[in-house]
Amino acid sequence: MSDESLVVRCQLGEREAFAELVRVWHGTVERYVRRMLSRADDDVVQEIWLAVVRQLPRLRQPGLFAPWLFAIARRAVMNQLRQSYASPDTGPLDESAAEAAGDPLPDLLDRELIDGALSALPPRDREVLILFYLSDLPLEACAQICAVPVGTVKSRLHRARRLLRAELLRKGYEA
Amino acid sequence: MTPEDVLKGLTGPLSLRRRLFYVAVGLAGLTGSALIALLWATEAALPARTQIAFAVLIVIGIAWAGFGGWAVTRRVPLFARDRVVAAWLGMVAWLLFAAGALAIQRSPGVAVVVVLLGTIGAINVGFARRARATLRQSLPD
Repeated sequence: MSDESLVVRCQLGEREAFAELVRVWHGTVERYVRRMLSRADDDVVQEIWLAVVRQLPRLRQPGLFAPWLFAIARRAVMNQLRQSYASPDTGPLDESAAEAAGDPLPDLLDRELIDGALSALPPRDREVLILFYLSDLPLEACAQICAVPVGTVKSRLHRARRLLRAELLRKGYEA
Repeated sequence: MTPEDVLKGLTGPLSLRRRLFYVAVGLAGLTGSALIALLWATEAALPARTQIAFAVLIVIGIAWAGFGGWAVTRRVPLFARDRVVAAWLGMVAWLLFAAGALAIQRSPGVAVVVVLLGTIGAINVGFARRARATLRQSLPD
């Protein structure tokens, strides 16, 4: 069954459909939270699903469930990050090292290694990499989730790739 | 955390009984306070303490109505099927109000209010049924 049908059945009020929706998307939500927060956080995951239940009747386009879900997850994660850091934009990376790196990210990298490196990136850069590369969402969906223009997503992706590459090199990874 | 753990945490918002309970509480509060208000408006020269009692009962009814409305919009959402049931519950509440109101006073003014509320209730049932039908039609066979 497609996501769209599943979402429509949930909007009708079929409890079994909601259980199925949770089973299909829980892993994705959990991974997104873990990568964004650099740790597993069950409370945030539960908060996201609670918001999904409460807002699902108002979802106008069931076909756009994935970006809608990620937008909810993003809000929950950002709230958590705001509580954790005084400034979510400050990151531990040396920008000049990233500038020197330059090249685009190779297609095939060990995902565990990337997860480790991702945690060192600032949240905004981390999230576009997670949404675009690890969640396989199109640029338009990433822009919708982050509430920014597509051009901004592209520039964030460019910067994030450089930062990630610099971090991977710092950890001893050879492309 | 497994999907089953997530679902356990969502038992409340996903409970049909709880959603309809909040709808019923809201409607009961609204109907009760409307009937008391009508009684108050149509009774001449009520003692001060009776008027205070009526005012308190109206406030309590409105508070329950507000709580029910808040619960079904913020805490436990109404899905398409629930909205149809809730709309019919609204019609039941209207029937109770109509019976009570006409027992308290049979006047053209009361009849107009009863007819107006009944029309709003019927339109609400129509909207809820249409929304449910639209969702059903969007499902593949």
